[in-house]
Amino acid sequence: MSMQAALPVALIPGNSFIHKVNPITKIVWVIGYIVLAFSTQNIYILYGMALFAFLLAPLAGVTKPLLKGALILVPIGSSLLALQIIAPAVEQPWTPVASLGGFTIYGDGLYYGLVLLGRIVASLLIALVMVMTTHPSDLFTSLAKLKMPYTLNFMLAMTLQLIPVFQREVGIIMSAQKSRGMKGSGFAAVLPSFVPVFVGAIERVQQLSISLESRGFGSDGMKTSFRQVRSRPSDWIIGIVGAAIFIGLSIISIMKGLWSLAHVIVFPGTFVLWLFIIAAATFAGVIIVTLIYAFKK
Amino acid sequence: MSDPIIRFDNVTFGYSGTEVHALESISLEIQPGEYVAILGLNGAGKTTLGLCVNGVIPIMLGGNLEGTVTVDGLNVGDYPVREMAKIVGMVFDNPEFQMSQMSAGEEVALGLENAGIPYEEMKRIIPETLALVGLAGFEERSPLGLSGGQQQRLAIAAVLAMNPKILIMDEPTSNLDPIGKQEVFDMAAKLNRENGMTVLVIEHEVEVMAKYADRVIVMDGGRIVMNGTPQEIFGQVDALAELKLRVPESAEVASILKSRGMWNGPIPITTEPAIAAVNELLGAKS
Amino acid sequence: MTSTDSTVERGARAIDVSDAHYVYPTGHVVALGGVDLHVEHGEILGIIGQNGSGKTTLTKLFNGLLKPTSGTVVVNGVDTSGHTVQQMAAHVGYVFQNPNHQLFARSVEAELEFGPRNIGVPEEEIKERVADAIEFFGLADVAEEHPYRVSFPIRKLVGIASIVTMRPSILIFDEPSTGQDHHTTKIINDLMRRLREQGTTVVCVSHDMPLLADVVERVVVMKDTMIIADASPREVFADKALMARTNLQAPQSTEIALKTVVPRGGPIALTPHELADDISARLAGKATAPQQTVR
Repeated sequence: MSMQAALPVALIPGNSFIHKVNPITKIVWVIGYIVLAFSTQNIYILYGMALFAFLLAPLAGVTKPLLKGALILVPIGSSLLALQIIAPAVEQPWTPVASLGGFTIYGDGLYYGLVLLGRIVASLLIALVMVMTTHPSDLFTSLAKLKMPYTLNFMLAMTLQLIPVFQREVGIIMSAQKSRGMKGSGFAAVLPSFVPVFVGAIERVQQLSISLESRGFGSDGMKTSFRQVRSRPSDWIIGIVGAAIFIGLSIISIMKGLWSLAHVIVFPGTFVLWLFIIAAATFAGVIIVTLIYAFKK
Repeated sequence: MSDPIIRFDNVTFGYSGTEVHALESISLEIQPGEYVAILGLNGAGKTTLGLCVNGVIPIMLGGNLEGTVTVDGLNVGDYPVREMAKIVGMVFDNPEFQMSQMSAGEEVALGLENAGIPYEEMKRIIPETLALVGLAGFEERSPLGLSGGQQQRLAIAAVLAMNPKILIMDEPTSNLDPIGKQEVFDMAAKLNRENGMTVLVIEHEVEVMAKYADRVIVMDGGRIVMNGTPQEIFGQVDALAELKLRVPESAEVASILKSRGMWNGPIPITTEPAIAAVNELLGAKS
Repeated sequence: MTSTDSTVERGARAIDVSDAHYVYPTGHVVALGGVDLHVEHGEILGIIGQNGSGKTTLTKLFNGLLKPTSGTVVVNGVDTSGHTVQQMAAHVGYVFQNPNHQLFARSVEAELEFGPRNIGVPEEEIKERVADAIEFFGLADVAEEHPYRVSFPIRKLVGIASIVTMRPSILIFDEPSTGQDHHTTKIINDLMRRLREQGTTVVCVSHDMPLLADVVERVVVMKDTMIIADASPREVFADKALMARTNLQAPQSTEIALKTVVPRGGPIALTPHELADDISARLAGKATAPQQTVR
């Protein structure tokens, strides 16, 4: 029986322009995104970045998997907004805009909640686009070019490769133990499921190390690479332009004291109130569904 | 006769931490181009013997090794395993445990990259090697998505890329279905006959050995107890039974008939000669 | 040793699979495409076919590890769809191919206690069952040993014994001879036969045709997610077209018999001893050899 792809986030093979961009260029963009996202509090910039990253998805043909991967933002986003609106993570004084029962609702809370969320959304989306359009081997080949040590690089690549293998192994072991009447969860399930996984892992690593050594792994001499990652002029241009924009905006933003617009943008009280209710309800819903699912299992 | 490509000279070996010897006074010569099968119970020392040929013993797995193993003129133990890899290719029973790369092409490339083979040459060698094991065009396929038989042939391709003179297979088909078994053994036979590769295979299935091997070595308790052509070995049904081993069913049938005084000819070890002999026997009666 | 204590509904078959389909939840891969299989109590049967033909999926339906996406699976009168694997464990024992996937306890003895304790067998009776199993499987010398410190063949026996102590009325063996030498395979064959003699229903999934020819009385052949044949081993192994279609190879004795004894009106042999007897009988002048006694 062949194995199903088990990783939620993996390469979506394709031939788009974005797939063809050099991995190093993509790494520059991801790092640039993260640096800029954390050096500004300007929500126009943050959500502009998020929107741009999202618009790359249809170009690369990865919209559906991207949305699936971005689902993780629902619990994060809802909890973040709900909490920030009633307890902002910034210095007082806070601006109350409405009240709900015993809670006071703050306008700056919403702003800073949106900032935090914007940082996460922008960084996550660009990272997902990169992972979904880059063959891991190309990525590791590129990292090797950037003088990342061979063994470290190999170990990273290997780990990525082993995750689905171990997932399947755990599945088999759980099946074997359930067939012996083991209760599916709780402390009693720890030893019976982990000992065989652990022993299997040791056996696998031993066998693999002999197999790798038998293929010359660990030789001192010059190594060559079968995977050739080309860098075209366009890769350089995209990389340099991206770097310039990110560095430029970061510097401007820092010079403007992180460019916060908290006091420029005023949210109407009812809007904030409803947003709080929706966010809190969503978060509660996520928790309840998770619990029901866990107990059903 | 040319010089032996593998030579064991009075080799005794014990894994560290144990008193028992895994190998006991092994002396053995294997000629270039031979197809040798090793038979024996689990724990008889077959795998240990194989690991001595590519230097995993004594270099990676410690222990006490006495005597000398010479492979293609080199004294094993003086060279690291990765050097021996250019002479000896080794595959194990679980093909999946030997996969480490994202694609079949890279799996084959690994050894070449480590040896510093230039890209242009790799581009030539990799498709050739994959074609040799019947996996032409599989460069971009994920090793984990292949069938067991395909995975094992890929594992073999990965060592063949280094252009070794000897291929050692340790129970290569124990995890495969009948189609996968056939694929692997047919391919090994082709490498042996057409490319002159020396093949050493550790195997339980005697019908397979009788069909392919030039020579069968029987091990028991770390010693070589029988060594001869499949015909010589599998003719000795009682001696093997004493070692708790079996012979091909054709040989067993003939041997039972012989004990009843009904069989006078040679013991057939494969299907076709057995059919011919039985037909002759029954025909003579009617 | 009494063979089983799982409650069996009066008149219920051991296994009743009716029009079972199985489609993987992750995609559109069909693993079973409409399977019917009925097994009586006390039967011993083999399931053969290439990897991917659906053998393992089918056997995983028996103890509820998988639930059919449509159709029903009723075991000992119990519909698996309403029951967990843990609940089914009292009825169906599943011996996995690799013993390393199930062994974890600090001693062989503790390993054998794990299953019966999970299904709520009283402590006193567990002791009794473990003692029985240690004797039945010849594990007295290693009872105190750690399961990973015993040799691979013994570990396999421990794996089987750890299921047998649950005394299920149905036992499934997945590729019991994989990685085992001839000697251990013979021991496992013998165990299956003895368990069956005690009334256990035995289902054996295997690529090892000589093993099946030796022990089973019924062979189910699978190909491309369907059962394409279900008959005695003699009929299945003698069907050259079927063997060719499924890329399977009959035992060598059967292949020889088909081209020697059978064309002369003789029986289809499954094992070397049967073939030798058939040939002897013909040489001795009898018209037909007496059919071998069924074990």
